[in-house]
Parts: sequence; C-alpha cells; structure tokens
Amino acid sequence: MRSASAKRQGLDEERLDEGIERYADSPNFSASEKLALRYAELMATDPDAIDGAFYDALRAHYSDAEIVELGAFIGFNIGYHTFFGTLKFYPLFSPDGRLVGQEESARLYGSAPASLSGAGVG
Amino acid sequence: MSHIAPLAPEEIADPELRALIAEAEALGVPDALFPRILARVPDHAKVLMRALLMSHAEGNVDHRLKEIIRIQLARSAGDPYFAALRSARARRAGLTDAEIEAGCGNYETADCLNAAEKCALRYADHMYRAPWAVDAAMYAELKQHYSEAQIMELGAFIAFHYGMQTFMRTLVAKPLAG
Repeated sequence: MRSASAKRQGLDEERLDEGIERYADSPNFSASEKLALRYAELMATDPDAIDGAFYDALRAHYSDAEIVELGAFIGFNIGYHTFFGTLKFYPLFSPDGRLVGQEESARLYGSAPASLSGAGVG
Repeated sequence: MSHIAPLAPEEIADPELRALIAEAEALGVPDALFPRILARVPDHAKVLMRALLMSHAEGNVDHRLKEIIRIQLARSAGDPYFAALRSARARRAGLTDAEIEAGCGNYETADCLNAAEKCALRYADHMYRAPWAVDAAMYAELKQHYSEAQIMELGAFIAFHYGMQTFMRTLVAKPLAG
C-alpha cells in the first residue's frame, strides 16, 4: 500500500526503497531525515540504542512535539503491522490500480510480509 | 526523568484532553505522565488516549483478561512504565496479583486461568515473540473461544498497547507514583 498524498508530494518507489534499505549512506536524504529513519529502525530492532544521547541528537533537528509525533507514529506502526501480518490479508488494489482478489494480491505483494521476519523488540 | 519532559498540568488547556487524562487517572492506566508527554501534540494525544482507553476498558472481552495481557506485553516490550501500572477497575472486578503473575509467567499450566484465557494469552505472547506461530491454526483455536469481533478487539488491543509500550520504553519513563 502507498499513500496517495505522499506520492503527490513526489515520493516514488526508488526513494522509498532507498529510505528503507540505504538511507544511512544516501546523498538523497538530509541529516534530519536520516535521524528519523534511524529512530524508526532502532525502535523496532534495538530500542536500547535509543538513549539520552539519541534523543539529544533528535532535538538538534526536531522539536519535542515533533519527536512525540514521530515516536507515537512509529510505535503505532510497529504494533499494528505485526498484527496485520498475522491476519494474512493483502491490498485490494494492484500497483497499477486494478481491484484484485486476495489470492492475486498475495502473489503480487508476497506471502511473507517483512514484518513477520523479525521477532519483536529485543 | 523521561527523555521527553511531560507538560505541566496547567499547560494543558484543552478540556477534552483534560477529561481524558482524568478518565485515565481514575482507571489507573495510564497515569497522567503518558498523556502529558503526548500533550505536546494535543490532537494526536486526544486520538491516542481515546484509543488507549477504549481498547483497554471497553468492548466485549473481559477487562481483567485484557489487564493481564497488557502487563504481559509491557514486560515483553521491556517497558517498566506500563508494566508497573494497574487498572483500578480490574482490581475492583477481582483481579489479583497472583492471577497477573500467573498470566505473565507460565500461563499454560496455571490453574487459575481457563482454556479461553490461556488461548488469548498465547495469542498476545506469540504476536511479537514468535509472530509466525500466530497462524491459521491459532486463529482457528481462538474462534473456538471468541467471536471474530472479540478476536479483532483482542488483536487491535494487543497491537496498540504494544506499540505505545515500545515507544515509552525508549523514553525511560517511570510511573508518577514511583
């Protein structure tokens, strides 16, 4: 699934993949964006690394209100994506906008969501 | 002190948010700290607090069972803040510390829990520790004890509370009551 609003603002698949897989060394993300992406990654994989120094680094780029907005959004997504993954449902529309059945959608989007590959917060 | 400081009570002017904080304080989960941190983004705070309170204290799944699950999840998420809080309503309904400890420990062999409660506790326990085990067989077993509406209520409750606990863990927050 993709946000139509984000697409209209210029987010494409290439930038999305780069933001997920290669953001740390990418010249296409600002220091602020890299830090927010790191915040999300660590909350899911290594929350102990999000310490006082990390929050100080966040404050150099974001207000406390923005950090709370980010943190709650990330937590919400960590919680829900794993639950959704267990329900085995897939997007109603194909990437080219066709209404598709669940079997075809599973073939298109994969039968093993990435959220199921982890083992939760360590 | 939490990595993000809570607003002081007098800094929160929104009457709806103040009412939600009072409702949470009466329940005991969360205490005022969590909503006072969220209050830095008031519109988000109101939505998140409504969802937190509704998923925990309303619906058609026993609140006492949800309270055990909530504490089990908080311990699993490594969040001392939510793990230390207790629902006054669940306590009034008869939930004991012994039942909480049984549900958070080896619940499969606990005499004080029935088969339906053990199934729900396994669902929550596996959701983030072994999500691959939350498969069609587990949903079939859940359906022996719960309606599909109750399973959705449980699943959404588990996901939402675990997500907020994971965020709170990183803030290193502790309950206001110490």
